[in-house]
Order: sequence, then structure tokens, then C-alpha cells
Amino acid sequence: MSGPIERVVVPLDAAGENLTAIDTAARLAAHAKAPLHGIFVEDEDLLHLARLPFARQITLGARAEQLTTEHVELHLRIAAERARRELFAAAERHGVTCSFEIVQGVSESALTGASERDLVVACALTRPIAGHFRVECRWWSSIEAMPGPFLLARQAWSASGSVVMLLRDRDPAAVRLLEAAAQIAEAADAPLTVICPAAIAGAERFEHWLADRLAGHQVRLQVEIAPTEPAVLRERLRELDCRLLAIGAGGDPLRDFVERYTCDILIVR
Amino acid sequence: MKRLVDELRAALPAAFERDEYRARREAIEQQFKQKSEAVFGALQRRAESKNITLLRTPMGLALAPTRDGKVLAPELFNQLAVAERESLQHEIEAIQGELETIMREVPLWEREHREAVQVLNRETAGFAIAHLMEELRRQYIEPPEVAQYLDAVEHDIKENVDDFLAPAAPAASETSAPVPAPILRDIEDARFRRYQVNVIVDNSEQHGAPVIYDDNPTHQSLVGRAGQLARFGALVTDFNLLVAGALHRANGGYLVLDAQKLVTGYYGWPSLKRALDAGQIRIESLEQALSLASTVSLTPEPIPLDIKVVLVGPATLYYLLSANDEDFDDLFKIAADFEDRVERTPETTLLYARLICAMTRREKLRAFDRGAVARIIEQAARLAGDADKLSASVRAFIDLMHESDQFAIDSDKEVVGVAEVQAAIDAQFRRGDRIYRRLQEEIGRKTIRIETDGEEIGQVNGLSVISLGNLAFGQPSRITAQVRLGRGEVVDIEREVELGGPLHSKGVLILSGFLGGRFGKNRPLSLNASLVFEQSYGGVDGDSASAAELFALLSALAEAPIKQSFALTGSVDQRGQIQAIGGVNEKIEGFFDSCRITGFTGRQGVIIPASNVRHLMLRRDVVAAAAEGRFAIFPMDTVDQGLELLTGIPAGQPDAGGEYPAGTLNHRIAARLDAFAARAAELARTASAVGGRP
Repeated sequence: MSGPIERVVVPLDAAGENLTAIDTAARLAAHAKAPLHGIFVEDEDLLHLARLPFARQITLGARAEQLTTEHVELHLRIAAERARRELFAAAERHGVTCSFEIVQGVSESALTGASERDLVVACALTRPIAGHFRVECRWWSSIEAMPGPFLLARQAWSASGSVVMLLRDRDPAAVRLLEAAAQIAEAADAPLTVICPAAIAGAERFEHWLADRLAGHQVRLQVEIAPTEPAVLRERLRELDCRLLAIGAGGDPLRDFVERYTCDILIVR
Repeated sequence: MKRLVDELRAALPAAFERDEYRARREAIEQQFKQKSEAVFGALQRRAESKNITLLRTPMGLALAPTRDGKVLAPELFNQLAVAERESLQHEIEAIQGELETIMREVPLWEREHREAVQVLNRETAGFAIAHLMEELRRQYIEPPEVAQYLDAVEHDIKENVDDFLAPAAPAASETSAPVPAPILRDIEDARFRRYQVNVIVDNSEQHGAPVIYDDNPTHQSLVGRAGQLARFGALVTDFNLLVAGALHRANGGYLVLDAQKLVTGYYGWPSLKRALDAGQIRIESLEQALSLASTVSLTPEPIPLDIKVVLVGPATLYYLLSANDEDFDDLFKIAADFEDRVERTPETTLLYARLICAMTRREKLRAFDRGAVARIIEQAARLAGDADKLSASVRAFIDLMHESDQFAIDSDKEVVGVAEVQAAIDAQFRRGDRIYRRLQEEIGRKTIRIETDGEEIGQVNGLSVISLGNLAFGQPSRITAQVRLGRGEVVDIEREVELGGPLHSKGVLILSGFLGGRFGKNRPLSLNASLVFEQSYGGVDGDSASAAELFALLSALAEAPIKQSFALTGSVDQRGQIQAIGGVNEKIEGFFDSCRITGFTGRQGVIIPASNVRHLMLRRDVVAAAAEGRFAIFPMDTVDQGLELLTGIPAGQPDAGGEYPAGTLNHRIAARLDAFAARAAELARTASAVGGRP
């Protein structure tokens, strides 16, 4: 992403912890003075399953019950309505314009209309079973397909901590990453720590390069040399009380990052 | 405890912020996360190995068949070979069964997780608060109940440590409207109210045993109460709202109560008896005590009671309680009957003067000069109704001092003198004497006939006292008697018309006794006599007019006129002795004022029992008139003395044969009675001769 954010898009579904994503998205939309758009995805897989004769649902409070199409549709409608209410309430709180749509399909199809100027904010967590166990986040396939920045929100906006960006080079994608990270740090009033290889940090006019890129943002900037060992980096991120980690899409496997860290993850292509 | 809570509100969050706590908490979370992931993960892997995926439904979990990582659409599923479909279905059902088993165990895991966190929290909290609690325990070694209480507090803090970790007030987030400050205070207050200590009685500044006077001894003021707060439309209470009663405040000391207010106050007397009887104070509402309310409220532990209760009140109340309340004598064993008058001696007079001086300082009044003090003491004797006594009613003379002080202020005087005290006394009387003035006015206008000069047979001026509120005044009444031939009856007209009280009737019957004793030994009393208080339209009671009635009767019998310039008072016994009566000063002053209205003649006066002379504390104008010879007061000991004064005729003493000297009053009476007897005998004979009845 370069330049201003056009929309903040929130993909929503019946399985995710939507509220965290909605709140984060609304705040970022307010900061970017961009409209907020919610897309509720009625999971096609669930609907397919419901049409199978042996489809059952197992819940904590009851025995296995038959999962029918009517049953699934009813609950999807309820979940969509709840998501809509929460989205509009958040938009109203933060004074942003808001729109909402319901689509049926799989997760990657939900975000096909998103452009590189859209910031997508999705919840990284599904609602837990047994307090801890969560089935996998449904948005992975979308991340791969997204042309613009993608934020996987896991923590409440009120969480303290800093925004940390892993800068690997100074190509245009890195610039977009830096700009997106700076915007979020500014919105969250959090310090921005740029962790980069020594070669980059020691390069001539690196500081000027950084200053030029961040000229429009009021952030407390800090530059650190990236440790070579992943464990040291992990420890450093913990010390920095990292609330959001900004990474480029082409680096380490995303799932590793998400599994390794509990903070929000910003991916910019 | 407030300091402890304040310190804990800082210490406990700090303890829970420490890395040690976080690490241990994280370990617990990890442990349970691993456990759930291990179980669910294994299931998920097993499912995936069989082309089955775990889906999150809005309500729970479901298992779906997949191909190439995607859930099989029903159309594709139906295209599978029957055997494959059945196999898939069988596999799904098998895994579903496992999933159900796991899900059934989930609540157990959650409970284990909660317990593990609780144990950690308790340990962390216990470590953080231990030194603070220890400090308190050292300060309060005694009594042992405090140590128990502190143990309970420590336990409660550990169990409810979340209260200390939560922010002081909900953040004014955008997600909700701002919470009003009073509600925030309520929420904040409610979290830690249970750690407060409600000191219902603080005797730390007390030197010696407490002495408490309760001026409104009702149930609640004695045993205390549990106050209530309106919170969100409901009335709530807790131990912080317990309020001590007088029994708590006086516990270990003395409680002084107005007995009259106690027995008339709402349920005060039964509550006091119950507390004394049980030896403990139980704070409970009246509804609870009477089992009138079924709402659940506080039932504080009873407090042992060690107290001396002093009831102060009129003697009549003591007698009533003693006679009618069977618990009274058991609970109140020491009676002290205080005299409401003191002897008037030089020593007590001096003490009285000192008391007046002290009262001027206490009441912030002007100084009273010696004349004023003397006048107040004189008035105290007047209030006592006895020249040799002084009233102990402090309230009465404080009122008089205040009013005297006001007269001094009005007169721009720095010191209160006798004139101001007299003005205050006069003003006090004047304010309440409307009825008295009206009666005197009617005497002056002859509407009420009172003769203050001349002579009349069978008519005498009696004196009575009328009490209206704090004011008592004397009222002269004309008492007349008529005699005629009869059978020895003295008719009390007041009694006949039920206006005479029992004491008055008794007095009249004594007259019959006197007549019979003096004149009926040798002759039948063949007379009928009637006695009446003329122009009396209300009840008459007391025997203080019995002497006057006797004189009217004897005058009528002797046909000897009575000087109307005299009024008299006194009761008489059957032997003709005159006995003391009450209100002698008011009676004398009442006749004095009547004479002033009708005109002083220099011959007027009042005859009183000699035994009442010591009670004379007359108004200064009466004393002055007596000194000037315009008005006289005569004492009498016997009926004969009174008769001689009233008629100017010697009464006469009987000789050895019981006969009175000729020319004396008694002789005339005896002769009249003889005449009645003779006439009665004559009539009896005549009647016998004609066969009739006399």
C-alpha cells in the first residue's frame, strides 16, 4: 500500500472472534478517515456439510445433534445480524461511515473485491472450544490473495505495547510496510521499532531514508539491529512488549509467525 | 482496615504484575492449552488422515468429509461409491463419538484450570499480604476474636483477590456510556465495604466508665439499628450501617433514662428488660423483634452487656411498675426516693444562692444581686408551699431567672434586681390567670355572691384551690347550711347531685360524727341538715372545707350570725380538732383579692389551721396589708376557736355534767337540739295516739 487507505475492510464469519477485529478496524478507519466495510461470509463448507445425511454438531452443552441446512442458515443469519450490529456500533463510536454485506462462499472469495489501497482487518482467532482449543483461522487463503495490507487482529486495541516492524530491505514493498506500520503506531499512540539487518541499518543515509518515509507520521521511532537467532528475536519482541508485528509477505512462512507470537500481525505485500 | 485495603490495592496488583506470577500463570495456561490441543489436535489429525475436517459451527464443532483439503459438496459426496460413502460416514461417526467423549470432559478441564489459577492466585495473594496481616496481628493480639477476624479477612482477600486487581473504576470506554460518578462510587465502595470496620462505640477518649443519658429511649435508640441505603431502587444494608444504641454506648458503665419516656416510648421498656434479662444486646429491628417482617436482614452477634441502668422518674411510676410489672423488682433492686423539697436553713439558703450563681454562668445570664437572689429563694419556698422548705425544682427557677434576665435587658440593667424578679413572677402569674381574673371580676360584679362584710346565720366563706396547668389560685365559695326537725341526717347536697367527691363526702360524714359526739350523748339528734357550696357548678372534692361546713351548720343550729368578713379553710376531725390543708397561700390570696375588689374594711381576714402557719409564703401585697392592719390571718386549732372568731360569741366548755354555760354557742346549740328532740317526741306521741307514724 502506498498513499492513503481507501477503505478498511473487515471480513467476518460465524466462527471468529469478530469483536476484536471490528474494534481495531473501526479505530484504524477513524484514524485514516476512511470508510469501514464489513463482509460477513456465510461459510459454504458448513452449508455443504449440513446437506449430508450424517451431519452432526457437537456442543459443550448438549449431545450431538443433527445439523440441518435450516439449522445452519438460521445460525448464520443470527451471527450475521450480530456482526452487523457490532460493526455499526463501532463505526458510530468512532465516527466513521460504514457499510455491510453478506456473501456466501469460502473465505478467499469474500475478499476478492478488495484493492491494494484497502486495509483488511481480520480476526486471527476462532472462538475457542474448551477455553483454549481453536480451530484454524479461516482467513489464510485470503492473505495469500490480498493485494494490500492485511492485519490479523488478536489483541484488544487497549492492549499496551509497541509496534515492531521487521525490515528486510528497502524495496517498494518495504516502504509500503513501513508506512502501514507507522499509521498503526500513530493510531495506537505506540512507539515504532524498526528491526533490520545490520547491513541495512548501517547503510549510508538509512536514517534519512527512514525519516523521509515517515515524514507524514508522528511516531516515536527506534531502530534496532535484527538478531540472527529466531529465539533471540522472539525474546526481544517480548522485551519490547510487541503488540503488533509488521512483516512483509514474502519472508518467513506466515503461519510460523502467527503460531510463534501472540501479538497482532500486519502483512504487507 | 482502611489502610490495609489501600495498601493491598497497590500491593496485590503489583504482585500479580510480577514476572514470577506471569510465568506461573502462563505455565498453567500452557499446560491446559497443551492438554486441549493435544486431545483435540490428535483428534483433528486422526480425522484429517481419513479426509475428514473439523469445522467450527456457530454453536460448536462438526466433522465434514474432504477431498483435497476442501469440504465435499453433497453432489460430489453422492458421486462416491457406496462403499466409500459408507466408509466415510462410518469414520465420521466414530470420530464424532470420540469428540463427544472429549467434549464431555471439557467442563472438567475448565474446572481444573480454574482451580489451578485460584491456587496460584491464593498463593500469590497470600505472599503479598502476609506481612501486612502480620503487622495487624501484632497490633491486635487481644481480644482473641480480633485474631479470628483477621484470619477470616486474610482468607477472604485470597478468595476474592480479583476485586483488588480490577481497575478502580470501569474505564470510560467508547463502548458504553459514561457511568455516573455516584454509581461509580457505589461500585467502588461495594467492593471493599466488607473489609471496613464499623466502630459503633469509640471509648478511646473516655476516662472512666461511660455515663450515658438517652433522652428518647425507644427500642431502636436503646439496642441500635441497622441503617439502610437506597441502591438502584432497593433498600440494602450491611454491617457498616449498624448504629450503636444507648446500651452499647453505656456498656461497661451507666445508662440514665427518663422512666416516663421509657415506658411511653415505642417498645423501649420491653427491649430494655429483654437486654438486661439476657445480659446481651441484640441489634434487630422492631419488625424482627416482633416477628412482623419476613425479609432477610442482618442478625449481628449479640454483644455481652454489663451495665447499670438508672431510671429517673416520678415516684408514682415507680410504684406502678413495682406493683404491675413482675420483672421490675428483679431488674431494678435499688430504689432512691428523692425529696422534691429541701429544708430551708441558712446552709441550704446559701447553697441555693450558689446554685443561682452557677446557673447564671451556665445559662449565660446577667448577674443577680442579693435582693434578686433572696426573692428567688423566697419564691422557691413559695413553690415548696412551705416557709421552712425550698423547692428542688431547678427547672422552675431557671425559667424564672431567664425571664428576670429579660426584664433586666429590657430595662438596660447590667445586674438583675429584685424588681426584675418580681416582675417575672408577676408576669408568670399574669400570663395564666385569665380564669382567675374572670372569677374575681364576677365576684366584684356580684354575679358570684361572696360577702366580705356583715353577718349571716348559717353562711360562711369557704376556700378552695383551682389548679390550671402550672398555675394554682384560691377561690372563695359561699357555704350555707339549713337545719330542720328530722332524724339526725346531715345531707350533703353536693353528694346528692354527684358533684361531691369521696373525700368531701367523708368530711361531711365527719361532721355528723362531731355533732353526735359533742351533742348526741344525752339527747337524740332530731334534726335534718343540708349543706351546699352555693354557685358551685363543678365537682367538689377534698376535706379542706369540712371546718367551714361545720361552722355553717353550727351557726344555723345556734342561730348565731357569722362574720362574713372572714373566710376560712381547714379540715376537722370528729373530736373538733382542726387539721392542716394544702394550698393555704393560694386560698388566702384568693380571698384577699376578693376583698380588694369588694373593698377592704380593715375587718377582713382568713382563718387557717394553726398547723398551716408554717406553710405561709404569701404574696408581698398580702403581707404588706397584714402589716398595715388591713387584712388578718388567724390560726385555729379547734372548732371552738374558729366559732368564737367567726361569731364573737364564746364557745363554752362543758361542765362535769356535760352541760354548757348559758350564753355560749355550744349551749345555744344544745338547747336547739333539745328543742328539736322535744318537738320530735311530741310529734311521736301525737302520731302514736292517732295510730299514725311521726
